[in-house]
Amino acid sequence: MAERRKKRPYAGTGVFGIISLSSYTALFSNQEIVTGMTTEGGAYAVIPLLAAFYFSFIHGAFASNVLSLLGIEAKKKK
Amino acid sequence: MKRYVVVMFALLLSLSFVPGVFAGGAPKGDFKKGTIISVNKEAGTIVFIPDGSEERMTLRLGAAAGSGKIDTHKKVILSLEGKRGAEVIANIKRMFLDLGLRDIAFILFVGFVGGLVSGFIGSGGAFVLTPGMMSLGVPAAVAVASNMCHKFPKAMVGAYKRFRYGQVDLKLGLIMGISATAGVQLGIRVQEFIFNRWGDAGSNLYVSLAFVFILVTVGGYVFYDAWKISKRGGEAAPPKLALRLQNINLPPMIRFKTAGLRISIWFTVPVGFCTGLMAATIAVGGFVGVPGMMYVIGASSLVASASELVVAFIMGFGGSIKWALSGMIDIRLTLLILAASLFGVQLGALGTTYVREHMIKVVMGSIMLIVAVSRGLAVPKYMTDLGILPLREGTTAFLMKASFTVMAVSLILGAVIILSTMIKGMRESRKKEPAMVTSHGHSRS
Repeated sequence: MAERRKKRPYAGTGVFGIISLSSYTALFSNQEIVTGMTTEGGAYAVIPLLAAFYFSFIHGAFASNVLSLLGIEAKKKK
Repeated sequence: MKRYVVVMFALLLSLSFVPGVFAGGAPKGDFKKGTIISVNKEAGTIVFIPDGSEERMTLRLGAAAGSGKIDTHKKVILSLEGKRGAEVIANIKRMFLDLGLRDIAFILFVGFVGGLVSGFIGSGGAFVLTPGMMSLGVPAAVAVASNMCHKFPKAMVGAYKRFRYGQVDLKLGLIMGISATAGVQLGIRVQEFIFNRWGDAGSNLYVSLAFVFILVTVGGYVFYDAWKISKRGGEAAPPKLALRLQNINLPPMIRFKTAGLRISIWFTVPVGFCTGLMAATIAVGGFVGVPGMMYVIGASSLVASASELVVAFIMGFGGSIKWALSGMIDIRLTLLILAASLFGVQLGALGTTYVREHMIKVVMGSIMLIVAVSRGLAVPKYMTDLGILPLREGTTAFLMKASFTVMAVSLILGAVIILSTMIKGMRESRKKEPAMVTSHGHSRS
């Protein structure tokens, strides 16, 4: 049990961190295209919604892994 | 009972696609999105092409809109003066702000703090984020839309985390969320009625007075309850009103497993409806939803605040569809807020596992009371705008600044309480852990 608790998610943090960082880099280096596409309205409405979902999965997983890596985890139920 | 959930879920989906389903301080009045082709300052007009149209429009500039520099060939949002239907431009704002490092740092900071608070109490952050972004120069509609679009993924991540901790009552969250969506509709109608009758200042005054009244009464009670519980050493007694309502057998009765209670749907739906009504009025439905779930339905503060995240997801998603369809979301702002708030919300969610339950009420009550002060400070400005109170411009400007500062303080104070009690809880838990592990024959190095 004690050994298992000590295992830290280095790989998960790295992988999700790289995907998240590259996604953010792609977004901010193509601001004109991104803002143009996401504010077209109509059928283009799916783009900002999908982007919000995509980032919440990728960046959410990254954030979760970072917190675990720092040893910040929920209290175990007794 | 599954039948009810399925029916409710179907209703939710249908409601989500009704245009106009949104919550959270929709910008009032008429606004147009498009590009300015040319400016004729002498004639006081501009030539404008609205998005999705080839037609050129010539619009008159109002006094304030015509005084500054006007960008051409960039996407802008024009607010039209006064009540709906007017064709005089009140102000022109560039739709996409050039984000500097200071702007980014500000958005990340507020995003993190807002996430932390909403992970812990079920809602929060929006009331500082929207005016905060507007103070950076983001048009009101874009600020509301971008904030709304960050709300549902954040709430989804928070709800998922708290579901894993066994705190979310999904059925309660779904029923509340769907009834709230209906409440939002009424809230919007009320807002529109007030706006058309008394204009922008009348609408602002109504929102502020509703804010102050609800936050003082509900927030005051939450805080008083938290204080009583802490005096009893952290033991929460079940609320009398909820117990009385649970004893009334008015079919259909619903059993909420995680919340551990059984109550009629006729008492559950109105709580959700009021949450939506308030979300459309004061932009923070959770300030009604969470206390409603605690004191009317009888859920614990842990389950109520966790299930509120499901409500926030449903309402945020419905609202985001509407804003996305009208093309108002600046996805850069949304994703910037998310970059920090996804850390905050998960930290806030796990924080609830370390603190005593009444701490949720302490944080919620404190924030609500301070926000009430903040909104109270804004009331004289709106009364002056309506001609009820004769205040000088300098005084009202100072009061509005003070109002925003106090609002920001409420969020920061909430975050400080959360972090400090969480750290304390973690330390205590770590102190106990080695002893427990040793007693089972293991040790931690």
